[in-house]
Amino acid sequence: MTGARRSISRSLALGSAALLTLVACDAGGDAERGTAGENDASSARAAPGYRGVLLESGPRPDFTLPDFDGKAFSFRQETQSQLALLFFGYTNCPDICPVHMAGIAAVLRELPWETRDRIEVVFVSTDPERDTPERMREWLSGFDPQFVGLRGDMETVNSIQAALALPPAVRAAVPTDGEDDGYEVGHAAQVLVFGAGDLRLAYPFGTRQADWKHDLPLLVSELKARHEPPEAVGASSASSGSG
Amino acid sequence: MQWWCAARGSAWTWTWQAYPGVWLFILMIGLAYWRLYGRGRPLRARHAGAHEEEVATGGGVPPRGWPGWFLGGLLCLWLALDWPIGALGAGYLASVHMLQFVLIALVSPPLLLLGIPTGRPELRAGSRSLLRLVTHPLIALITFNLIIIFTHLPSVVDTLMATQLGSFLIDMVWLIGGVVFWWPIILDRPARPGFGHPMKIGYLILATIVNTGTFLYLTFSELPVYSIYELAPPVYGIPARDDQRVAGLLMKVGTAAVLWTAIGVLFYLWYREENDEPASTSHA
Repeated sequence: MTGARRSISRSLALGSAALLTLVACDAGGDAERGTAGENDASSARAAPGYRGVLLESGPRPDFTLPDFDGKAFSFRQETQSQLALLFFGYTNCPDICPVHMAGIAAVLRELPWETRDRIEVVFVSTDPERDTPERMREWLSGFDPQFVGLRGDMETVNSIQAALALPPAVRAAVPTDGEDDGYEVGHAAQVLVFGAGDLRLAYPFGTRQADWKHDLPLLVSELKARHEPPEAVGASSASSGSG
Repeated sequence: MQWWCAARGSAWTWTWQAYPGVWLFILMIGLAYWRLYGRGRPLRARHAGAHEEEVATGGGVPPRGWPGWFLGGLLCLWLALDWPIGALGAGYLASVHMLQFVLIALVSPPLLLLGIPTGRPELRAGSRSLLRLVTHPLIALITFNLIIIFTHLPSVVDTLMATQLGSFLIDMVWLIGGVVFWWPIILDRPARPGFGHPMKIGYLILATIVNTGTFLYLTFSELPVYSIYELAPPVYGIPARDDQRVAGLLMKVGTAAVLWTAIGVLFYLWYREENDEPASTSHA
């Protein structure tokens, strides 16, 4: 082999090794690194230990709205010992709402039952005109049949959002492609999470499944530690570990 | 209006979109071919020995240099780059992005190269040695597979597919990588007497194996690896994870289908050659 050929072969081998190392690093780090910090959530401050954004702590909002069965759903009471994920959106939403709901649902499907059972996802419609109870049930159950859909008049829904420091939903005059009765609704894009005690977190649009997978079990275990005696938590962890 | 397909962020609709950059690119390649090889030639090639070559390859298969091959490759390229495949693959579905890869890097290049007449390209001394190096089978195989790995890294896809220039870059790298990969199989310039049919078959078999890492990574990842597709407005409610799994399978199955077809053709040509029948060695 000539010197030049040897040099080319060596360079190729080194180049290949370098790229393979890069691939290994990228592949290994992606799921972990695929954080809200890489996308829209990047500008916000991450909560210590969590990938969501820490909000000013406070009690869970106290509002009652009818669910898609027509039954009154009191948010504070019904989610008392649960990790509550609250989102304001609408079923004709072309992007943010289905991406959030699909991401959360995909992660919930992978969680152990003991963890999944402690999470309540509540979707409040910002488009009561088109979001009939039937439509909401059909749309939400497409993601997860356990998701709860609530519906109220716009004034009530916006006052709930105002209490949570969220902007009001606005019916946008943007014409769509002749479908969906021709309008979109501007609304807050973050999912609010109410955890143990007064813990509040926000997960903006751009939160990835890797972020939910990282945070939800942590938040549930904190909640369990607060609401259950230590022995029960220990026993539950042991059973989930062995099962 | 976008000039090249890139992620839009808006909901997918079947409303046609114009991508003038794609048309210009296809037009430029077509004109270049016509200027170099096609001027004054009918669709069925009339270059020296074309008839004999056609007879040698079984009569029904058009010879190398037939402009129809090139047109087929160009059509395939256009299909992969333009709306709707280009737009869906750029910003909505990882599976369609993978379909683009198969069409741009694996289907289109061999057809384009088959459209180049035998004995071409005529090369000057300087470019001949560069081409000899770049299209050396070992280097071509390594280059192509490094391109596969690099252009499917999540950080690369998420960064580049968000912009038209980045998306254009990925498409061009795939196309050039595909041409480099197929060159030693199809073209007889530069001549490589030692790289006969058995070696070519080995080369392609090796190529079917080396993309396994990327296939496994995409197919068996627990989470969506590309944020651009995970956070894209959903198309028909297809979950991001399922879409990615299909992308991984398409990479493996699509690549295998193309490569094993070529391997079959090479086996046939080798068989004919071994039986002292006059088959074209440059016709893959």
